[in-house]
This record gives sequence, C-alpha cells and structure tokens, in this order.
Amino acid sequence: MNGLENESAFVEQLTDLQLALRIYVQSLLPGDPSGHDVTQQANSTIWRKRADFEIGTNFRAWAFSISRYEVLNYRKEQARSARLGFSEELNETIAEEMSTRSEDLEKRHEALRGCLDNLKPKDRELLLHRYNSSATLKDYSARSGRSVGGLKVTLHRLRSVLLNCISNRVATEEGRA
Amino acid sequence: MNRSDRSRLIDALIEDDISEADFLLLEAEMSIDPQVREEYYQRLELATLLETTLGSEVVPMPTSATSSWWSGARVMVAAAAVVMVLSLASIFWTQPADNGFAPVEKLAQGFGVVVGQVDAEWADGRLLADGDLLPAGELALVSGAAQIELFSGVSVIVEGAAQFEIVSPMEINLVAGKMRARVPEAAHGFLVNSPEGRVVDLGTEFALDVIDGQSVVHVLEGEIEWHSKDQPMQQLDGGQAIRFDANGDTEAMAADASAFIGIEEITARRNSSRVAQFERWERYTTDLQQDPRLVAHYSMDAADQWSRRLPNGVMSSATQVGEGAVVAAAEVADRWGRSGQALDFSPTGSRVRLVVPGEFRSMTFLTWVKINSLDRWFNSLFLTDGHELHEPHWQIMDDGRLFFSVKKNDNYDSAKGVQDKHIFYSPSFWDSSMSGQWLMVATVYNVDARETTHFLNGQVLSRETIPEEFLVETTNIGAASIGNWGMPSREDPAFAVRNLNGSMDEFAFFAAALSDEKITEIYQHGKP
Repeated sequence: MNGLENESAFVEQLTDLQLALRIYVQSLLPGDPSGHDVTQQANSTIWRKRADFEIGTNFRAWAFSISRYEVLNYRKEQARSARLGFSEELNETIAEEMSTRSEDLEKRHEALRGCLDNLKPKDRELLLHRYNSSATLKDYSARSGRSVGGLKVTLHRLRSVLLNCISNRVATEEGRA
Repeated sequence: MNRSDRSRLIDALIEDDISEADFLLLEAEMSIDPQVREEYYQRLELATLLETTLGSEVVPMPTSATSSWWSGARVMVAAAAVVMVLSLASIFWTQPADNGFAPVEKLAQGFGVVVGQVDAEWADGRLLADGDLLPAGELALVSGAAQIELFSGVSVIVEGAAQFEIVSPMEINLVAGKMRARVPEAAHGFLVNSPEGRVVDLGTEFALDVIDGQSVVHVLEGEIEWHSKDQPMQQLDGGQAIRFDANGDTEAMAADASAFIGIEEITARRNSSRVAQFERWERYTTDLQQDPRLVAHYSMDAADQWSRRLPNGVMSSATQVGEGAVVAAAEVADRWGRSGQALDFSPTGSRVRLVVPGEFRSMTFLTWVKINSLDRWFNSLFLTDGHELHEPHWQIMDDGRLFFSVKKNDNYDSAKGVQDKHIFYSPSFWDSSMSGQWLMVATVYNVDARETTHFLNGQVLSRETIPEEFLVETTNIGAASIGNWGMPSREDPAFAVRNLNGSMDEFAFFAAALSDEKITEIYQHGKP
C-alpha cells in the first residue's frame, strides 16, 4: 500500500471513530462542557501523529490512548478550577472499560432515530430544545409555562424511555438476524 | 441509594447539575459497582447520540398542539444523516470556545489534505506538497489538477484553472472551473455552491463545471439535488446533466464523465509524471556523481542486504571515502515510494558508519530526510565521533532549528564566557504538521565568504557570518556517523541518545561551498 492510500484509510478510520471518541473523552470529563474542545484537540493530535500509527495494530486503542493524554493535559491545565473530577483510580477504570466496550454505536444510533419517531410531539420538542438550542431550561420553562423542576423530571423520564426503547429495538433486530 | 435515585444522579452528573455531596456519593458507587458504571456509559452514550442527532435541527417555538415540523420518517432519517455528518465536521473543526482552556500545542488547521497533484500550479506562488493540509479561504489553481480529501471522507478533484473555497469538510464554493466529487455514504448532504445555484449530494459521484455565467452539473452515479435561486429544486439521477445559466435558462444533456479527470486518471498521470521525474533525477545524479567537489554520496539503498554496506556513489573524487556500514537502521520506502531504498534511523542505535580521511576547507552537507518527530534534544544528521578540534556537527534541535558547528577551541571555559565553537542555528523550520514529509536540508560552511547558510527545499533558511574568532579554515572529519552520534564524550546516556527519529534517502558531502543556485538546482531535480 502506498502512502496516499494509507492517508485516506487513516481519515476513514478516524471519521468512523468520531462518536466513540467523543463519548470516551466525555466519560473522563463528567458534565464538563469542554468535552467537545478536548475531543477536537485530541483529533488534531491524532492527525499530527498519524505517521506514528502502525498499520495493522488497533487503531481505536491507539487513538484512545492519545486522547487519554489530552484529557490528562486538560485536567492539569484546569487543576485550579473548582470543577469536580473523578479520582485517578476511577478514571483509570473508566478509560480501560471504555476502550474495550463493544457497543455497536451505529446500530444504537439507528435505533434511537426510530425511537424518537415514536415519541409524542411535545416530548420531542423538549428533547430538541435541550439538545439543540443554547437557551436554558429556564427560558424554555418561561415560554412553555412548565416548571424547571418538572422539565428536568420529564427529561430524565424520556432518557430512560429512550434507553429501554433502544435496547428493545437492538435486541429485536439481533433476534431477527 | 435505590436504582431510580442512582439513574437520576447519573443524569445530573452528565447534565453538569449535581451537588458536591451527590457527586461524591455517586463517585463512590461507581468506584465499586460495575453496574453503576455501565449505566453511566449508557446514559452518556445516549446524551451524545441525542446531541448528534438533534444538534442542528431547526428549533420550533414551544406549542402545546401537535406541530408539523417533524413530518415523515424519510425526511427525518435523511436530515439526521446530514446532521450527523455536519456535527461530526463541527466536532472536528470548530475553534475551541473561550472557556479558559488554552491548548498548549499548536492546532493543525484546515478541512482536508492534498493527496495528489499533477502539474498543479497554485496562484500567488503558493506551494502545496502532497500531504499538506489545505488552508481555509479562497484558493486558485492556475493549471494542472489536484486531488483533495476532505475530513468528511469526500474526495474531490479540481482541474485548473479553478477558483474555489473549502468552507467546511461538507461544503465547497466553486467560483469557476471544473470539480469532480466522490461522496461516501457518511458524507451524504455534501454541498457545492456555484454562482448559479447549489448542488446537494444524495450519493455518490457528480461533477460541476462553472464557466462565464453558467453551471453544468453532471451526475455520474447516484443522485443529486440542484437548488437554484428562483426555481424549484430539481432532482437529477445518474447519467443526467443539466446546464443552467444566470438568466435561469436550463438545458438537459447527457452526463459526460470523460469531460472530467477521474481518480484513476489522476493516479495514472501522477504515477507517470513521478516516473518521469524519477528518471530525470537518476540522470542528474549520474552527472552529480562526477562533480569533482563531491566527496561522499550515499543513496541509502544497501544493494547487498547481507553485508549491509552502502557504496559511495562518487565517481571522480580524489578523496578515499569508502562504503558506509549500516547499523540497526531499517530499510524503508524512499521518497519515490520504492520500497527498501531508504533507511529508517528510528530503531535504537541506528546509524551509518563511515570514515572521511583528509583535510577540507569549505564544506557542504545535503540530505533528503523524513522526520517522524523531534523527540530528542539533539536529532542527528551527521556527527563526527566525539567532538574533536575542527570537526563539524550537523543536527536538528527539538524545537525544529538546524544546528551546525565546527569546533574551534580545545581549551575553553564556559564559566568565563569562552566557548569552544560558534553554533549556527537556522530559524525553526519544522513542526509536527510536517511529520512524514520528505524534505531536503542542506548547510554550506563557506570559509572564503566567511558565512554559514542553511537551506530547506532549495531555499535559504538563514545566512550568518562566521565570527572571526571561530573561523576554522582547515576542517576535518575522520570517523563519523550519519543519523546518530558515534562516540558520546559525555557519560550521561540521556544526552547520548541522538539517533534521528526519521528516515534518510540520500546523503551528500561536498568539499566545497556550493552556491545557492546549485542547491536549488539539486532540489529541483531531486524533488519527487
């Protein structure tokens, strides 16, 4: 294989890994909105180090280990911020478990789309508001006339419904296959 | 804590809406209970999938009645696919928000990579090497053709003369010229804008030709949507082509793939132009090897794999430099892509040993090098054993500067400010975005003009006068190593590890100061 084929194969692998990488980074930075930026930083580092990747070895493991380093870097930078972080040991466990998780994200993503389709319009609207707009729940509360506490409870219930729905769909599909 | 409390806390954690007490409680549970961690992973994954799926939808105003914004599964799935790719693109390339997180390392910037060029000439003398990131902003290809891979997975061939701008990995503005795009499934929804309208790709290959107030769209395979300003959207299938002009007139035609360079053709043309360039270089090298100023020339291909000897290619030199002995270095592809014709010095201890007898006056060192990373303080190009009087050392610092010195004094005392030599540094010429690219570096030590000049790819990097007190008029080399340091004079092993983390394809030493023009000429003939 020549260098150009390698390069485009690399881009393809990295593109395919985006969702998993994003989840991986965020799992080590619970609740931290900077997860996006750190993921992007990791992407950039992975791209620069592409010559170091040995073809035939585990790309996911390699990319995750670079990302882990980016997370550590970021946490070092943020050491003085008030944000709570997991203990080193827990982070270690999470990093290890996330690296070996074998969820079929594409399948679950597809299932999620179907599940969203079956929700009541009002519920879809709330989810869309939460995961799309930069406005706060408080704004939405004011506009929709529902209490913030009530919205939080509803969002939590909806997530649980969606998780169940995804599991069922994936299981049914696997049963058929 | 019961199960539903736990779930609620996990969501609160992910939503960044958790009290410190609850955080500690949950952290403790997660530390001991794999089931709690599993639920954390699942909920986090769901949150990310929701963000990805819903992230770029149009937000409607809150209503209590049934709203119609979400009509039909087909539209939704198509939209979700586009959204997924778009947000993927934004994960990749949005600038970090101002949240106090300052990246220590430099970000690579761009939306795609130039993977191959055939006679490509860019406007304003812009030089792009294969493997370079394509910058944002308008680009003009004066002539030739370039193949570009965007980070969305879209592969594009642009034919000059063309004027275009890569807006994002999912969008290109084509102001003028020809462009052919192959769009993988993951990048459906890819957009190309022309002055007359916009192509939305629904898969898999199309071409667009923009000239003087008209756009011609050819669908080579799959289907596209064409959106023009005042007219309803049109869907075109494979084999169809339509010409649109600024007045809104349209004309249906048959698609003509042969009017555009395809990937197969550009690859074939690239290979043949590379072969031609390679043959040109071979002829040039044969001439160069007869240059009486050349003392040592190694092409880094050990013809005899068993003895690991590199013959000195010089044909007419009066000096008696013999073959080089390869130690540890691995055979790798050279800059022309021929396997086993260059040496990789990254294995520990790698070097090429040689002996250069005799005395010299001015000197020129030149090599083709591919650097993986500069992870050592000093990264060797060519060093004499130890560090004796009148001997040169040529290496690269960890910050990307070229280093060249010739030792002048044996008795020195740095505490009193008396140095043993003057070090000629170039400005930093390398950063990690250049990792894996073949580069030609050269340094000229000119005793008569009393100056030292560093070169990168045939261009002067820096020129510095040799201070009178450090001028060495008679230089010598003796036993030396390419790609490493033979005999560290210090005990500190960390200081002594100097092998180059990279490959070399060609190494030349001239017992003379080559002119700037000659260095440029060698580069022009030797570049792949």
